[in-house]
Amino acid sequence: MRCTRRTLTAVTATMLLAATAACGSGSDSPKSESTGDAGTTKLKIGIIPIVDVAPLYLGQKKGFYKEQGLSLSMTMAQGGAAIVPGVVSGQFQFGFSNSTSLMVAQSKGVPVKVVVNGVGSTGKQNADFGAVVVNKDSTIKSAKDLEGKKVAVNTLKNINDTTVRESVRKDGGDPSKVKFVELAFDQMPAALDKGQIDAAQVVEPATATVKAQGGRVIASNFVDTARKLTVAMYFSSSQYVDQHPDVVKKFKAATQKSLTYANGHPDEVRDIISTYTKIPQSTLDKVTLPAWPAQWNRPSLDTLAKLGEQDGLFEKTPDLDALLP
Amino acid sequence: MIAAVIPAVPGLLGLLVCAALWEAVPRLGLVDPDFLPPFTTTLNALRGELADAAFWTALGDTLTGWALGLALATAGGILAGLVIATVPHLRELTASTVEFLRPIPSVALIPLAILLYGTELRSVLLLVVYAAFWQVLVQVLYGVQDVDPVADDTARAFGLGPWARVRHVVWPTALPYVMTGVRLAAAVALILAITVELVIGAPGLGHRINVAQSSQAVPDMYALILVAGCLGVLINTGARFVERRALSWHQSVRAEGPA
Repeated sequence: MRCTRRTLTAVTATMLLAATAACGSGSDSPKSESTGDAGTTKLKIGIIPIVDVAPLYLGQKKGFYKEQGLSLSMTMAQGGAAIVPGVVSGQFQFGFSNSTSLMVAQSKGVPVKVVVNGVGSTGKQNADFGAVVVNKDSTIKSAKDLEGKKVAVNTLKNINDTTVRESVRKDGGDPSKVKFVELAFDQMPAALDKGQIDAAQVVEPATATVKAQGGRVIASNFVDTARKLTVAMYFSSSQYVDQHPDVVKKFKAATQKSLTYANGHPDEVRDIISTYTKIPQSTLDKVTLPAWPAQWNRPSLDTLAKLGEQDGLFEKTPDLDALLP
Repeated sequence: MIAAVIPAVPGLLGLLVCAALWEAVPRLGLVDPDFLPPFTTTLNALRGELADAAFWTALGDTLTGWALGLALATAGGILAGLVIATVPHLRELTASTVEFLRPIPSVALIPLAILLYGTELRSVLLLVVYAAFWQVLVQVLYGVQDVDPVADDTARAFGLGPWARVRHVVWPTALPYVMTGVRLAAAVALILAITVELVIGAPGLGHRINVAQSSQAVPDMYALILVAGCLGVLINTGARFVERRALSWHQSVRAEGPA
C-alpha cells in the first residue's frame, strides 16, 4: 500500500510537470510576433513603472515606433527579477534591466543580449537621479562616514551596493565596513525618517521625496563609479535576436530616436511620466531627470563588471562582448 | 428589517473607532503624515481615484481574475472532490498527494506563472485557481464523509445508481460543506488576485497599488488599499448571502435567528 501511494505521488507529479510543460510550449508559438492590420509588429516590453522608461512612452506618443512599423505594449513588472524570465521565456520581446543584473544573468549562462541603451547617470555630483541620502540631522557628512552604518539598497548584490561601495572607496573609506540592508525604494524615506536606517541609496522619485523632507545627498554613487555610468539597458533573448534581426534593428532605431528626443525635451518627459505613474505633481517638478544617451558607455560597463567581480556578484566573469552586440 | 440592522451596529462602531484612530495618529504627530496620511486625506485621494476611469478598469480586471478563478476552482474542486470521495480507494490513493500539494503557498508559484504566461490574466488565474481549489476540494471531501451510511445503504437497497445517489444522498449532505469551501475560496481568491497583480504587475488593483507605492503617492496607495479591504468585506458578505440562500432548507440556517 505504502509503495503504491508513493508511486502514485510520483506519477501525479510527473503528470503535473508534463501538463505545465505542454502549456509552456503551446503559449509561446502564436504570440512571439503578431502582425496587426497595417503591417505593424506588436511588441510586449517588460518594464518597471519608473522615470527611467519615459522615452519609450514618449517615443510611442511621438510616433517614432510607428514610423518603424512597431507598436509597443508596456507590461509593467515589479522588478527586474520578473522581467528577465519573462523575456527569456518569450512572454516579452524586450525588457528593461539594470546593467549589473544583465551581467549577472550573462555570467549564469542565461541567454540575454543587450539591444539598445536604456538610461544613464547625469554625471553631475549632487545632481543625479540616484544618490546616497541621509536624514536632515544626520552626522554623516560624506561617503567615508558610512563605515559601520546601516545603508539601505533596493537589492543586495547588485548595481546599487556595488556603486555605493565605490563611493566609500573613493572617499577613502573601507567599503567592507558598511552594513547593507535590503529595502524597497518607496519605503526608504519613511525608514530614514524613523531612524531604522542611517542612509539610503535612492533613485527618483524617492530622491526628491527625501530632499523635500530636508534630507541631504552625501554621495552620488553612480557618478562616483564612472563618468556617465550606463545604469540600465533594453535587452532581448538571444533566440529572439537571432530569429528577428529586422525587428531588433527597428526597435533599436526607434528607441535611439526616443532617447535623443527625451534628452532634448525634459518638459514633455515630465508630462508623459504623469500618465503612467502617480508621482504627485509637486514631487514631479523637483525630480532630477536621468540622462538618456543613444549609446551605452562601454568603459563604464567595464568598470561595473570589474566592481561586480570584486564584490563576488558573478559566478564567472561576465563576457561583455557576448552580452553587447 | 430592524433585526437585520442591529447586528451591524457593533461592526459599524468598530469601523468608526478605527477611522478615528487613523485620523488621530498622524494628526497627533505619532507618525509622520507624509508616510501615513490621516483618514480624511486618504478619503480625498479615494475621491480622486473614483473619478478616474483607469481605476474602474483596474477594479474590473481584479474582479474578472477573481470571478473566473473562483468559478474554475469551484467547478474543479467539486468535480474532483466528488470523484475522489465516491470512487472506492481513490481517496486513500490521493491523500498523500493532496497533502503534499495543498500546503505549497500559491505565491511560491509566481516564477512559474511568469515563465508560462508573463503578466497576463492567465498568470493571475493559475495562482488564484491553485489556492482556491484546495479550499473547495477539502470541504467536499469532508462533506461526502459526513453522508449517513444508513441513508446511503437505503438508497443502494432501493436500487439507486451511482449518479442518483450523488444527486439525492451525497450532494444534499455535502452542500453545506461545499458552501463553506466556496466562501473560504472567495476570500482566498481575492487575496491571491491582488497579490499577483502587486508582485508581477498583471493589470488590476494590486498593480495600481504598486504604481502608487513606487510613485511615492502615499494617500493614493492607502486609498487603494482601503478599496481592497472594502472589496473583501463585500465579497464575504455576498458569499454569506449566497450560502444562506442555497441552504435555506438546511437546519443550520433554519435554526439561525427568527424566521
